Amino acid sequence: MTADTGAASAAPMKSNDRRLTYEEFERYSRQMIVPGMGKHGQLRLINSRILIIGAGGLGCPAAQYIAGAGVGTIGIVDGDTVEISNLHRQVGHATSRLGWKKVDSLIAHLKDINPLPNYIPHPFHLDPQNAADIITQYDLVMDCTDNPATRYLISDVCVLLRKPLVSAASVQKSGQLIVLNCPPAPQGLVDKKYPPCYRCCFKKPPPPSSMVSCGEAGIMGPVVGMMGVAQAGEAIKIIASALHLPPSSTNDLTAPIPERNLQQPTLLIYTYDLESAVGPYSFRALRMAGRRKNCFACGENSTLTLEGIKTGNPNYVTFCSPPTTDHALPPEDRITASKYHETRARGELPAHLLIDTREKEHFSFGAIDGAINVPFGRFLMNAAAIKRDGGPPDQILPAEAALGDDTPIFVVCRRGLDSQETVEKLKELGVDHGGKRKIMDIVGGMKAWKDEVDPTFPFV
Amino acid sequence: MSKPPPGNFTILYFASASSFTAKNVEFLPAPLPLSKLFATLEERYQGIKEAVLSSCLVTVNLAYVDVPGEDGDDGEEEGKEEEVVIKEGDEVAIIPPVSSG
Repeated sequence: MTADTGAASAAPMKSNDRRLTYEEFERYSRQMIVPGMGKHGQLRLINSRILIIGAGGLGCPAAQYIAGAGVGTIGIVDGDTVEISNLHRQVGHATSRLGWKKVDSLIAHLKDINPLPNYIPHPFHLDPQNAADIITQYDLVMDCTDNPATRYLISDVCVLLRKPLVSAASVQKSGQLIVLNCPPAPQGLVDKKYPPCYRCCFKKPPPPSSMVSCGEAGIMGPVVGMMGVAQAGEAIKIIASALHLPPSSTNDLTAPIPERNLQQPTLLIYTYDLESAVGPYSFRALRMAGRRKNCFACGENSTLTLEGIKTGNPNYVTFCSPPTTDHALPPEDRITASKYHETRARGELPAHLLIDTREKEHFSFGAIDGAINVPFGRFLMNAAAIKRDGGPPDQILPAEAALGDDTPIFVVCRRGLDSQETVEKLKELGVDHGGKRKIMDIVGGMKAWKDEVDPTFPFV
Repeated sequence: MSKPPPGNFTILYFASASSFTAKNVEFLPAPLPLSKLFATLEERYQGIKEAVLSSCLVTVNLAYVDVPGEDGDDGEEEGKEEEVVIKEGDEVAIIPPVSSG
């Protein structure tokens, strides 16, 4: 049985016009018969090299479809190992592979799906020193990472090496997806019709205070899964339809990009609401602008170079985490978790109010006896409202707590930062009644409580 | 989602903008010049500008817009364009960068 009845001519077979093997034909038949794909789309996939950076919640679902579709060479970058808290969303790993390097675990899973591709493990994190050397080996890059510094690094290197970038991100209950730098245009060539890079869309990283990881803020498996799958869909489409290439009649990379490839850059936003059965979940497709004239990376006067990146210019770490104000309170306003526990157990603490500023989901797993939950986000809003409208400061305290003017307040949070800010804010509002009432921070939060007092405490 | 009442526009808050405001959506009085949007939000949610808005992108009716005054050098690039005014019934979205995965 032949997979390609039209291939009987004597013309030399180019690799992008060869006969498919029987296994390839069988394996990929259901996608090849989709209008627009065909054998040529499949051969483009087989001849292509895709780099997946991050083998986590985005990278796992993305990689499954990239492998299943038959992309010929698949590189995976990740320095982490598989942990049990990954498995609700990182579907390329398994309980039986806990402790494995994520790249090895994911590749084992992918080989089971499709043994034909060539899988290349890069079992370390991408950094400014290794980024260009790795990315240059591939045709298309998928950003499945989990931090802003790496996102800017990947985008910058993709601009300089002219690689299309499919970028997705997700946290808690929402996700984003955007195709960047596709088709790639030379750095500095600016025209609104050329596609944006990551910096054209997000010029500044979020302030560190608002940066939350999936480990801290939480993430729903299907939300990040949806984004990873959509990301694979875009990557497969770009390669199979050659949307990233100049016209095939020329090898000149500066040749004009075919009009069909210059599509409206679009940011897809997915949101999902746990509190509502009928919505508002939504997909929104937002029309983005093209390349920015003054973009730091791809714009007209950009001075960004690969050599610069390797030697620390720009510095991605300081760009994404500018020096923060030091929250350390004076020692007299702080008490360690163990000291709080001991003095309280000995009955040496006066009647007091214990505020736990973790979000209510964290609080629901357990708390110190008698703690009252005042989630930090809500607290900040109420504090701002009192400051703005000039209400009585004690209004910020939970109504159920009957307090004397000098009843001390202890504040505990997850890891010890929000509690310090809470103490500062309470004093700023005058809740300490000019020093009459002590307001104390429990150092290190519930993490310290678990480490110093109660090792069985269910800390997330 | 329901339409905004007469004289209002809809504003959607995504990711950290939603956490900060404790809302996914609300209605605000229209018309409002786009250049006044961040100040209006700062008045309602003290601290939001620095903590969230400074790194966000903004869309009006599903299309990206440059918020005047938020990016000094863009002023020159765009030239003297007509100032964008958010109108009654418009849908504005505040979209912070998300970096987790």
